Amino acid sequence: MAATPPLQSFSVLHSNKPSHSLLRPSSNKNRTFFSFTSNLRCEIKGFDFESHRGWTIERVSDMSKDSTNSHTNPSSPLLSVSAVTSASQFPTKNAKKVVLFYCAETKALAEKIAAETDAIELRSISWGKFPDGFPNIFIPNAQGIRGMHVAFLASFSSPAVIFEQIPVIYALPKLFIASFTLVLPFFPTGTSERMEDEGDIATAFTLARLLSNIPISRGGPTSLVTFDIHALQERFYFGDNILPCFESGIPLLKRRLQDLPDSDNISVAFPDDGAWKRFHKQLQHFPTIVCAKVREGDQRIVRIKEGDPRGRHIVIVDDLVQSGGTLIECQKVLAAHGATKISAYVTHGIFPNKSWARFGHDNGGHPESAFTYFWITDSCPLTVKDVMNRPPFEILSLASSISASLQI
Amino acid sequence: MAMVKSPKKQVNLFYSLDCEDLAQNVALQSPHIVLQNIKWRSFADGFPNIYINNAEELRGQHVAFLASFSSPAHVFEQLSVIYALPRLFVASFTLVLPFFPTGSFERMEEEGDVATAFTLARMLSNIPISRGGPTSLVIYDIHALQERFYFGDEVLPLFETGIPLLKQRLSQLPDADNVVIAFPDDGAWKRFHKLFDNFSLVVCTKVREGDKRIVRLKEGNVSGHHVVIVDDLVQSGGTLIECQKVLAANGAAKVSAYVTHGVFPNQSWERFTHKKDALENAFAYFWITDSCPLTVKAVANTAPFEVLSLAGSIANALQI
Repeated sequence: MAATPPLQSFSVLHSNKPSHSLLRPSSNKNRTFFSFTSNLRCEIKGFDFESHRGWTIERVSDMSKDSTNSHTNPSSPLLSVSAVTSASQFPTKNAKKVVLFYCAETKALAEKIAAETDAIELRSISWGKFPDGFPNIFIPNAQGIRGMHVAFLASFSSPAVIFEQIPVIYALPKLFIASFTLVLPFFPTGTSERMEDEGDIATAFTLARLLSNIPISRGGPTSLVTFDIHALQERFYFGDNILPCFESGIPLLKRRLQDLPDSDNISVAFPDDGAWKRFHKQLQHFPTIVCAKVREGDQRIVRIKEGDPRGRHIVIVDDLVQSGGTLIECQKVLAAHGATKISAYVTHGIFPNKSWARFGHDNGGHPESAFTYFWITDSCPLTVKDVMNRPPFEILSLASSISASLQI
Repeated sequence: MAMVKSPKKQVNLFYSLDCEDLAQNVALQSPHIVLQNIKWRSFADGFPNIYINNAEELRGQHVAFLASFSSPAHVFEQLSVIYALPRLFVASFTLVLPFFPTGSFERMEEEGDVATAFTLARMLSNIPISRGGPTSLVIYDIHALQERFYFGDEVLPLFETGIPLLKQRLSQLPDADNVVIAFPDDGAWKRFHKLFDNFSLVVCTKVREGDKRIVRLKEGNVSGHHVVIVDDLVQSGGTLIECQKVLAANGAAKVSAYVTHGVFPNQSWERFTHKKDALENAFAYFWITDSCPLTVKAVANTAPFEVLSLAGSIANALQI
């Protein structure tokens, strides 16, 4: 019941009416009502440390949390009007205003995020360079964000840009802001985190250390929003001085699959056990195929380990794609076993050295040589620019997910 | 009186690719310094793929890393090694960073300026603590004295200077008794004047006349002397050239320069080279140290440049 919480809040205010009337008697009932509300708020501030007022505050807090706790009072018409007014204001109060900064690469995504809601306001940063190549960065109107909730949309597409963005990420929380959120849609994992030998260096862990040392803002530790991190154990790389929030692009894929004309003929294929472990629970409503890499001599061959692709439109799902070799091998095997169409989804389309060019569009029924669809999100902005309007590629935007995360 | 020498500790020295020459020079200074290898590779997406050879054999050993942050791209790959080495059960870890880069000149003139040197100091202050204790951090002629306070207590900064190398070199000059030291501005004077007690000092200053910034001789006498301009670093070199002109106009017999860090972005060192067709060569000598390896390679065997190596000083620092 939307009306219940405001009613309860008002009844608490109402219970203090006698003491108010002693302070400021008035014959006008309406004036009494409004003046009473205003004065009570002032009184709460003034007597902040008195125990009996503390009790009142706690009580209000309890009531607003527990919607089942009912303290019904006789309701006058005036009370009802007030309740309706308060109810309509709740959505606005709940939408926290966020100032969103971004880097050059993430400008397009930032604009999409801001378009999702009026509560998000974009701000730019002056990204300059000194002659020696080091960053010369300025945050305009820094004093203007005091007391505001602030977010930064980062993209660590190369080691060079990490050191450009880290100074901003370390500087923003220190500007007396209400809270700081770092949105890093793709957490880069150059090293595939297998410490196979003592001496291997896990650069993802280095990055996690850098982010775990973001200064704590006055509003508390940084929230870190990242999507489909490469391996589930990577969540434990972060220290307790940062709050990682792990999101996924899979819901976007599921929504997109529902829109397909052959949505009732979709099976999901995982290229290896790792992808299955990561995503099978989110996709358990689809028939599943799991592939495996097998070594035969010097060759690494992809085989179907379990599941049957015959007659189905197969969607290969993984968290990221690099050169794409694995996806192409899967595609060949699935086609050879009777798939009628083959598509792919990865959250992060890295595609170094323009390797996206090797993915052709099937244009009507040649699954053995091309893809029907290849969905990626906009977590890797450089790839988005390259493949926009180029079938089989289609971009599923993370903008609405990020916008929702910024309201947490 | 018998001097009891403390036993020298053996140090395993790793280095970034840029610093290979300097690392070899350091190792030549002492049989107790052993060079070790790192494999620096990249994945296709540009991220580092790094491997420390013989990692298990470092257990119980003193370990050092010689770094050079010559560009933002190099910071991340070297930082990955710097964060990994102390975790290998080493007896102690020392980071030698001859040049602490200061792309942003730390003047927070306005709220909103982002001080990247402070960011770098934060990153280094968060180097994991080895079993033998916090990392020792060796830096030469840091740009401003207050920068020593940028480091947190989890790292032990050791601030060294290249000035002793210069003084030794000056004593070898044929006109050693005719040398005076000039500072291009008050900042350089504040940084270095105490190290030159036995020299006459000259201070220049920048003065604004309309839109122009002119260098003037503020105090001191240069007439008939060989003047050596001293600063911690050089970027494009414009200030040094302006100083040289003023000093020559005031009667200096010769002008030379010393900076610890020859940054010289975009080949700007070329403006200092002795031209064959020039009537007079502007600088008699231009001394730099090997703290900026890219510059050292570029100016090798090019007059008036001469490199004074920090190798001996670094070898000593590794024994602390």
